[in-house]
Amino acid sequence: MHWPAILLSLALLLAFDARAADAPPDDLDALTLADKAAVAAQQPARPWRLFVEGAVGQGELRGMDSTFTMARGALDLRVDGMLMPTLRGVFSDRLDLVHSDGVPPGDNVNTLREAYLSWSRTAQQAFDVGRVNIRNGAAMGFNPTDWFKANALRAIVNPDPAVLRDNRQGTVVVQAQQLWADASLSATFSPRLARSADTATFALNAGATNPENRWLLAGSYKVNDQFNPQLLVYGGVDTPVQVGLNVSALLGDAVVAYGEVAAGNGMSLIAQSLGMAQPNDGQQRASAGLTYTTPFNLGLSAEIEYNSAAPDEGQWHALPPGAQQQLLATAQALQDLPTRSQLFFHATWKDLFMPRLDVSGFVRQDLQTSSQALWFEGRYAWQRADLALQWQVYAGEAGSLYRAVPQRQTVQLVLRVYL
Amino acid sequence: MKATFLCRIALFVAGAGIAAIVLAAPDAQAILTASDAVRNPSKPFAVTVNLLEYRNAKQTDANTLAVYSKADESSGQYRSLIRFMEPQRDAGKLMLKNGNDLWFYDPSSKASIRLSPQQRLLGQASNGDVVTVNLAKDYRAELLGEEDLADGERVMRHAYKLALAAVSADVTYHRVEMWVDAASSRPIKARFYAESGHLLKTAYYRKFQPQLDRERPTEVVIIDGLDPHWVTVMRYSDYAWRDIPDSWLQRDYLPRFKPE
Repeated sequence: MHWPAILLSLALLLAFDARAADAPPDDLDALTLADKAAVAAQQPARPWRLFVEGAVGQGELRGMDSTFTMARGALDLRVDGMLMPTLRGVFSDRLDLVHSDGVPPGDNVNTLREAYLSWSRTAQQAFDVGRVNIRNGAAMGFNPTDWFKANALRAIVNPDPAVLRDNRQGTVVVQAQQLWADASLSATFSPRLARSADTATFALNAGATNPENRWLLAGSYKVNDQFNPQLLVYGGVDTPVQVGLNVSALLGDAVVAYGEVAAGNGMSLIAQSLGMAQPNDGQQRASAGLTYTTPFNLGLSAEIEYNSAAPDEGQWHALPPGAQQQLLATAQALQDLPTRSQLFFHATWKDLFMPRLDVSGFVRQDLQTSSQALWFEGRYAWQRADLALQWQVYAGEAGSLYRAVPQRQTVQLVLRVYL
Repeated sequence: MKATFLCRIALFVAGAGIAAIVLAAPDAQAILTASDAVRNPSKPFAVTVNLLEYRNAKQTDANTLAVYSKADESSGQYRSLIRFMEPQRDAGKLMLKNGNDLWFYDPSSKASIRLSPQQRLLGQASNGDVVTVNLAKDYRAELLGEEDLADGERVMRHAYKLALAAVSADVTYHRVEMWVDAASSRPIKARFYAESGHLLKTAYYRKFQPQLDRERPTEVVIIDGLDPHWVTVMRYSDYAWRDIPDSWLQRDYLPRFKPE
C-alpha cells in the first residue's frame, strides 16, 4: 500500500546526494580567527589628509668624481570638504625644505597645488573656479594631451611620473562640465595672470601656470565597456590650436592597452630652449603602451613615446654641451619628451615577499642616444607610516641624453608619517 | 463500471502529475536568484565595507571602503563606485566598476586609470569581491544535490549545493560551487575556482542581520585557496538606501564625486 511513498523516497535519495559535512579544519581555524577579529569603531571620513615627510640621501655627481648629501623635510596637506550642500572647497599645498650640496642646490619651496571652489548646480552640471590641477592623458610615462603640465613643477623630489602629476601647481581656471550617463563635455578657460615665474618660497607663481589666456574643450563618449575615447581641443592667445585624443581598451582579463596623441603647430624644442626665432611647424606627440598584470599582482607596463618637436640623434649630437643642458632643462620644465623617441618600462609589485612591502621602478630608454634613466623604490607601509628606499641612476654613452644629467646616481631613505 | 474506470484514470493522471511536481528538482537558477536577493538590496544603496586581512593569524592589513551600488536597468548587473576611506594614504581614492569596465581614480594626481580585472587593489580580495554582484546574471546554475553542512557560525544547515558556470568572460571567477540554505535561501558558503581548475578562495557568509528590509549577511570570511592561513574578514555596516544618478557611474564624474 505504501509503495508510492517508498518509490518517492528512493527517487529523492537518488536525486539528491544527501550528506552531512563539517567545515574543513582550515576553514574552522579561519572562522575562529574571524570570531575573534576586533570590531573597530567606525571613524567618520575626514575631509583632510596631512603627512610629514623626512628624507636623507647621498648622490654622486658626474665627471667631478664627487659625492653630495641631501636632507629634506616636507609638510603635505590636502583638504576637500563640502562648504554647503552643493559647494565643495578643495585646498592642497606642500612645503618642501631641501638642503643639498649637490646640483641643483637645496631650496625651500611651497607649492600651492590646488585652491578652488566647485559648485554642483545639478548632479549632471558643475562649475569650478580657482587653481585646479587639470590633468588629462591615458599614458603613464609621457602625456602629450596634458597641456597644463608645462611649468607646473616647483620642486622635484621624486622622478616617478605618478608623483610628478601629483606634486605640481594647478592652473587658475573657470571651468564648466556637463555629464550624461555615457558622455561628458567640459570647457575650461585659463586667464593670463602674470607673465613670468616667481621663485620666492611662498610665491603663488601664477606666471608659471597662467602666462596667457588659454582654453581647453574636452569631451568623452563611452561607446561600450571596452572603449571610452576622449577628444580634446586646446589653444591660447600665443598657442596654436592643438587636437588630442585619449583611448584605452581592455584586452582579455589582464591587459590594458592605451594610446594618447596630440597634434598642432608649434616650435621645436631646440628653438624653445635656445630662444631662437623660428616659425611654428606641424608637430605630433604620441604615447602608446600596454599594462599586463600577472595573477600574483605584478604589474608590467611598456610604452613607446614620440615627440616630433624634440631633436633626433643627429640634432642632439650637433648641439654643444651647454645647449644640451639647456634643452634638458627646458624639457624638464615643460615636462616634454627631450628626444624624438623613447621607451618607458614600468613595474610595480604589491606585497612582494611579505605583506605591505611594495616595489616599483621604471627604466626610460632613449632610442636616439642610447642612454637610460632608471628609478627603483622599495616601500614598506604601516597603517600610518611608510618607509621607502629610492635609487635613481642616469647612464649612457658619452654625449648621450641622460649622460648630460649632472647626477650619476642618488639614493634616498624616506619616512612619511600620516597625522 | 465505466464511471469507475474513468475515475481511476483521472486519479492516476492527477497522481502522476503530483508525483512529477514533487519529484522535479528545484530550479537551480531560481535558487541562485533567491540567494542573490538575500545578499543584494533591490534598490540603489550604500554600504561601508571593513576589510581585515590576516596571515598566520596575525592581522597584516586593514581597509575601509564606502561602496555605492546600483543595478543597471538593461543588464540587471550592479554598477559600483568604491571610495577608499582608510588607511589615510588611500583616503579619497575611487574605483568605478561596471562589469569589466574598471577605473581607478586618485584625487592627488587627478588621474583616471583603466584597470584590468586581474589588478587587485586590496590584497587578497579581488575588486569583484567587495562589490555587489548578481551571480544569477553571470552564471548558469546546476543543482548538484543537497547537503547538511556547518555554516559560518558552525550551525548545521540543510543546503542546496549548486555548481555555477560562467556564461560570459566578464566575470571574476570561472567556476563557483555554492551552498544555499534550503529553507531561507541564505548563501552559506562558496568556493571560487580559476579556469585551470584550482581553488582560488572559499567564502563563508555569516552574521545575518536585518538590513534594508530583510536579513542579509554582514560578514564574509574569505580563505585563500592555496594558503588557508591567509584570511580576509569583510564586514558590512551602515547599509542605507541611496539615490545614485547614472552620471555618477562614469569615468568623467570621478573627480567630482563627493557624497557627503
